[in-house]
Amino acid sequence: MKVKYIINGKEEEYEIHPGEVLLDVLRRNGHSEIKGNCYLGTCGACTVLIDGEPHTSCTILAAKVNGKHITTIKGIGDLNNPHPLQKAFVDVGAVQCGFCTPGTILSAYALLKKNPNPTDEDIKKALDGNLCRCTGYVQQVEAVKFAVKLLKEGKDE
Amino acid sequence: MLKLKGIEEVYYPQTIKETVDILRSHGDLAEVVGGGLDISVFPNPRIKFLIFLDNLNLSYVKDSSEGIKIGAMTTITNLIESELIKDYMGGSMHSILPEIATELLRNQITIGGSLGKREPYSDIVTLLYGLNGKIVLSDGEWDEIVSINDFYKENFKRLLKERIIKEVIIEKYTKDYFFSMKRYVRNATDIALFNMAILLKTEGNEIISARVVAGSRPKPAYLMQEAGEFLKGKELSEDLAEEFGKFVEEHIEVGTDTRTTEEYRKNLSHVYAKRILLEAMEAAK
Repeated sequence: MKVKYIINGKEEEYEIHPGEVLLDVLRRNGHSEIKGNCYLGTCGACTVLIDGEPHTSCTILAAKVNGKHITTIKGIGDLNNPHPLQKAFVDVGAVQCGFCTPGTILSAYALLKKNPNPTDEDIKKALDGNLCRCTGYVQQVEAVKFAVKLLKEGKDE
Repeated sequence: MLKLKGIEEVYYPQTIKETVDILRSHGDLAEVVGGGLDISVFPNPRIKFLIFLDNLNLSYVKDSSEGIKIGAMTTITNLIESELIKDYMGGSMHSILPEIATELLRNQITIGGSLGKREPYSDIVTLLYGLNGKIVLSDGEWDEIVSINDFYKENFKRLLKERIIKEVIIEKYTKDYFFSMKRYVRNATDIALFNMAILLKTEGNEIISARVVAGSRPKPAYLMQEAGEFLKGKELSEDLAEEFGKFVEEHIEVGTDTRTTEEYRKNLSHVYAKRILLEAMEAAK
């Protein structure tokens, strides 16, 4: 079957198996910035935004989200023009191996869209589905708080 | 990783009637998809047809004379964000919701999907069962309202081959009711090793009626009728809380699985039963 998505603002059409999950479809079509790992929805490495809301793409059926807007980490900024969250994660040292980072940043991005002044508890709650096994979480929380500061200073999207 | 290899076709019906017609035409080979978490994590290889409910406008939380109506496609996140749920039962329902699963999964798990699957570890089933929720089943032509208790007494999976869960209704309880739910996890994102919900009606300190539901035991949530009977007519007190804890520990039907033992679940049931009664006592002051 064919599905259409608007990925990072660009309309794309893919041929899929009706039982496939979104993660596999996106990676097969070049979106290797989305990482895959558990296929159970427990690690969050595969997080993407679907209509602005963070989801584990390994548990979302690709056919179910036909027609939706999907944002990957490349959709919020890049090397030349990083989003304040991307810059903050690097500056604060919240990145080590980097495998969980795209998903974690997207969860943080969705949080800041809803709540531009989160408490530490809000940040921890928003990132609770994104597991990190090397950097740890203290730097990630600090990075989100630093991104809030950068956004307030006007270095926003 | 293609887990659902057998899927041949998917449907996007626009009405409940159309959904049920597709369901009936494919029988056991078709499955209705709520959030889709369960089917993607625990795929059923027999299923060939998936029916997505996303176009049926079943995502809502609204007030009505019958109670608060929660559409089947409402996610846990939708519930958390609902002003009606924030205020419901003094916030006791709202407070438990952010503890369930993770933000990412709360965006996917639907109320209808949780009730229709009745997974043993579901906190949503224990929550709504504890609140004595009513399920509205619909075939698109007529609706039938059944209590969650009656729904689970039936062969509910068979019922869901002929109808779908349209919404759940929770009563707007008056101030003489008290509700609390507890769940035990080893870490913040774990699934519950045990959960318990209690709804009490009191007059002053006297318990007029009580509803005790336990889940993740590891069997699915069930109504512990004898615990409700035990409390009826008794006065809230610290002694009663301890007695009740002992009673629940002695009578609860729990078992052992790979995650924990029967003995541990019994101990948890004692602690939670006692703790909830102490909370109710505080609330009654």
